[in-house]
Amino acid sequence: MTYFKLPAGVRDILPEESARLDRIEDTLRKKFDKEGFCSVRTAGLEYYDTFTCIQSPVPQANMFKMTDKDGNLIVLRPDMTLSCARIAATKLREERARLCYFSNIYNFAAGGNSDREVAQAGVEIFGEEGAWSDAQTVAFAAECLRAVGLKNFIVDIGHVGFYKGLLEDSGLSAEAAEEIRGYINAKDVVNTEIALRRYGAGEKAQAAILALPSLFGGAEVLERARTLTENPAALAALDHLQQVYEHLCRAGAEKHVSFDLGTVKSLSYYSGMVFTGLAEGVGAPVLSGGRYDGLCAQFGRALSAVGFAIGLVRVLRAQMNGEEKN
Amino acid sequence: MLNVALAKGRLAESCADLFIRCGIRAEILKEETRKLVLETPDKKFRFFFVKPSDVPTYVEYGIADIGIVGKDTLLEAGADLYEMLDLKFEKCRLCLAGFPEKNSLSAPHLRVATKYVNTAKKLFLSRGEDVEIIKLNGSIELAPLTGLSDVIFDIVQSGGTLRANGLAVLEEVFDISARLVANKVSLKTKAAEILPLISEMKKYIGEQK
Repeated sequence: MTYFKLPAGVRDILPEESARLDRIEDTLRKKFDKEGFCSVRTAGLEYYDTFTCIQSPVPQANMFKMTDKDGNLIVLRPDMTLSCARIAATKLREERARLCYFSNIYNFAAGGNSDREVAQAGVEIFGEEGAWSDAQTVAFAAECLRAVGLKNFIVDIGHVGFYKGLLEDSGLSAEAAEEIRGYINAKDVVNTEIALRRYGAGEKAQAAILALPSLFGGAEVLERARTLTENPAALAALDHLQQVYEHLCRAGAEKHVSFDLGTVKSLSYYSGMVFTGLAEGVGAPVLSGGRYDGLCAQFGRALSAVGFAIGLVRVLRAQMNGEEKN
Repeated sequence: MLNVALAKGRLAESCADLFIRCGIRAEILKEETRKLVLETPDKKFRFFFVKPSDVPTYVEYGIADIGIVGKDTLLEAGADLYEMLDLKFEKCRLCLAGFPEKNSLSAPHLRVATKYVNTAKKLFLSRGEDVEIIKLNGSIELAPLTGLSDVIFDIVQSGGTLRANGLAVLEEVFDISARLVANKVSLKTKAAEILPLISEMKKYIGEQK
């Protein structure tokens, strides 16, 4: 009977759970609708090159690959933001667009705490920029999580520009920077320190990079970070987050917000503010997003952009955790 | 309530002392019991006893918010979690060991016996060397004695077992000690419980130096 089983990392969703996921989707669809998002359904199969010819390629090992009739490599779509950016840059005429989607993405390499087929609901905003737009996006992300019934959650905000700024001052090679990035992302101070010494980073930059793993918490983190560096790019990133925070406070949306300047993801297309939604009882983020201003230009038309995606199955898990507690 | 994954065995004893020193009512950890889940009387902490190599798994999935585990296990697991503190106990080294008189490490086709398959792969990959890695689950020292491998890659504490079998450390590769790890979500959603504990632990480690 082996042929009636499923491959590793995917699963069937049966009526009871499926109905609950439908309700989550309905709630989000109404939310997206109200904010003027238009839904798109991007192609499930795409060319391999679309995801590898850009500056922040999707790692080869993460994609399900097949060969097309003409010998070209095609993949199951690995990421919705990239597909939406491609559409906005190549198929839409307007200077502004608000797209949303309910789609699955596929990750060949996934395992452990993540699935190989991931159902996502997401929004992508094109042609809006600045701290006000970023704050609105974060506030909307929090609102979506509240709407689907999560109570104990936070939206954790970082900025890729801060780490990049510190790196500029450190004189580290790209290879050394990538190794150290891994340690910082794991908040591993021991190895960060050993590597910084081995690669001989400047003293002031060393102290600043070494502080990164502890730069998380409330808005006071931004003040603490300011004392660590004089790099203009790093300081601009802090100014930007400060503005975002002030906008959030004015909108009364600061309650669910925290900061972490030590979240430095690998080779991502994000260019500015990044954020993740964290819910108690679910060991991995339920939401993730950020600003990616340089990406559309690589598909042929420069457009500023920001967006986020919600992992629907993780939201369901968070809901069920909440119910168990009550 | 904070959920803590602890490795069964030697490490558990040191962990119990650490928690008690940090003002946690963890005396229960010292009692002889076959229970796998223990709660402190004030219900602030729940401890799970798991196999050492399962600690990163429990923490990565968020079933445990924090855990204490050796760096060797972390290197091997490669789990996505935060490594918050070097607790500086259970110190040892991950070493390449073999017969001291033979020039084993320069063998053209090196055979390495180890429990730490992933770590060994990464190590030799970073050096650009192709080697044959042989997975064993225990008594690693037996491999070079019987001719199964040229060298072994294993943790060395006193070196007693190596010496008793005519083997020696050829190269020390990693310093190992116990680490406090945290789930990436729990650190933020339960910061009010985890961060004070970490600063208590920092004080305790400082005193020990």
